[in-house]
Amino acid sequence: MSYVTIEQVTKGYDNQLVLNNISLTLKKGEFATLLGQSGCGKSTLLRSIAGLEDVDVGRILIDGKDITDLSPRQREVGMVFQSYALFPNMNVFDNIAYGLKMKKVKNLKSKVNNMIDMVDLIGKEESYPHQLSGGQQQRVALARALVMEPKVLLLDEPLSALDAKIRKSLQKELKRIQKELDITTIFVTHDQEEAMTMSDRIFVMNKGQVVQSGSPSEIYTSPVNTFVAKFIGNYNVCNMEVFRKLVRTTELKGNEVAIRPEVLQLVSVGEDSLDLQGNWEIKGFVKDVSMAGNVLRYEVETEECAFHVDYLHHRGEMFEQGARVQILVPKKECIML
Amino acid sequence: MRKIKKQKIYLLALLLPFIMFVIGFEIGPLVAMIKNSFYADDGIQVTIDQYLTIFKSEFYLQAIKNSLVISVFSAITSVIVAVIAAYSFTKFSQKIQNRLLMVTNMTSNFEGIPLSFSYIILLGNNGLFTLLFAKIGWDLFADFNLYSWTGLILVYIYFQIPLAVMLIYPSYQGIRQQWKEASSLLGGSTFSFWLRIGVPVLLPSIVGTFSILFANAMGAYATAYALVGSNYNILSLQIASLVASDVALKPQLGSALGVLLATTMIGAMWFNERMMRRVRRDLR
Repeated sequence: MSYVTIEQVTKGYDNQLVLNNISLTLKKGEFATLLGQSGCGKSTLLRSIAGLEDVDVGRILIDGKDITDLSPRQREVGMVFQSYALFPNMNVFDNIAYGLKMKKVKNLKSKVNNMIDMVDLIGKEESYPHQLSGGQQQRVALARALVMEPKVLLLDEPLSALDAKIRKSLQKELKRIQKELDITTIFVTHDQEEAMTMSDRIFVMNKGQVVQSGSPSEIYTSPVNTFVAKFIGNYNVCNMEVFRKLVRTTELKGNEVAIRPEVLQLVSVGEDSLDLQGNWEIKGFVKDVSMAGNVLRYEVETEECAFHVDYLHHRGEMFEQGARVQILVPKKECIML
Repeated sequence: MRKIKKQKIYLLALLLPFIMFVIGFEIGPLVAMIKNSFYADDGIQVTIDQYLTIFKSEFYLQAIKNSLVISVFSAITSVIVAVIAAYSFTKFSQKIQNRLLMVTNMTSNFEGIPLSFSYIILLGNNGLFTLLFAKIGWDLFADFNLYSWTGLILVYIYFQIPLAVMLIYPSYQGIRQQWKEASSLLGGSTFSFWLRIGVPVLLPSIVGTFSILFANAMGAYATAYALVGSNYNILSLQIASLVASDVALKPQLGSALGVLLATTMIGAMWFNERMMRRVRRDLR
């Protein structure tokens, strides 16, 4: 039974479709991510669910109730903004208590304190937003949304403004809190790594449409088109005609072939014991080597096009720039698009 | 090290004209005014008689009271109008906002004798509208007298509003759309947003504007002089008549009144600041 349902939602600005007939469903307690480049419509979709944008066509349902025409305050959704949007004139306690005050909830104090405990901000109750770090401000924003016990939690790139280390730790914490409260969550990001680590399900969006949805590993290992392949995993995408020429075969179909950089292997030219059964081989030379910490990335130039090959950074396994190599391409890892 | 010192000296030297200007035209007269206020009418004997004269004289106390009332009243009215007007400005397109600001800027400089004269032409005893309304038979304006308390207030408010709008408008840029969105998602109405977030955030600028308007009205002289002359008893007119009149020249008494005028303004600003810090605890 789906908990959040989005049915054929369409929205346009100035003759341009921002959301183009989007339909998706989420289960209760699911952590879903809308992933895409800026301008793909992911934030607009999130804001439409929150009621901050109207949709032109389509319906949005939460827990079986049609909320399409309800105002934001009637929707029972919580939202965390990229820029935190904390009220600058209120301290941490009052920021978190704001929604409860609006709702005239009793035993407000204990609820707020529990929430402060949950987001690990004990001792900061009296602090004002400008006295807090970015990470702390975002925790307050999260607590402010969660204390209302919303049916759905919407997160609009909540971690993008934070530096890498705090971001990683907040990712974990966010996930922990989400599991603990079992709250259905929709997370918007343009960062594919973040999407992979956090989500139960990813919806990859492009030009106002959902182009692929699935678990992180499904999306990563079986992209459905060139866009997803390039966006999600730095795939080597090669024109099929070119690729056929390179591997001297006619048996492949499709327009393009996508191969993950980490499944490719490099061997020196003339080295024996090649498993030609499961692999194709392509001759080339190392044009460039770059090091990204634990990963070595080779750019190997072949007759027709260049390939990226990723290696874990073991000691003593380096090919020099200019070295003549053969790329082993595992046949079963080639994805035809 | 030496180079830095030299540079500092040059920079200070560049400030010199400004410092001289401030001393010559601001601090100097202020000190002279305070000093003068402690002399007797003969200008030789040191005394506090001038202050005693003021506090014993119902006439001068009334002048202070009238000035305070007109200043507070016109400042409050103008701030309220400006808070609403400046907000409505922000709802227009950028182009129209610029136009509106231009008009406001122009009108905020329209004060003093030309302003009074315009009012006299339009709403005076033989003013254009006064006669027109009388011809049409609208008796709504029959009781209106420009050369009275109401008239004076009207003119003061007229020149205060554009200034207030100019001062408050920029602070609306500091109100972020996402605060409104967050508030509405948390169940807040538009009213509760403005009550609990919008107005408190605007408060420093509202309070600052109020202080400026108050001082502006307390010190306004030409407008009042042209409109009511000596018919109405306000502080700035009394000071003027004591230092520049050809009937009763008493510069020492005028100075004492001037000191009181300045004290009232400083007192008002201090009070405003205190009140604001109570509401905006985050600014402490």
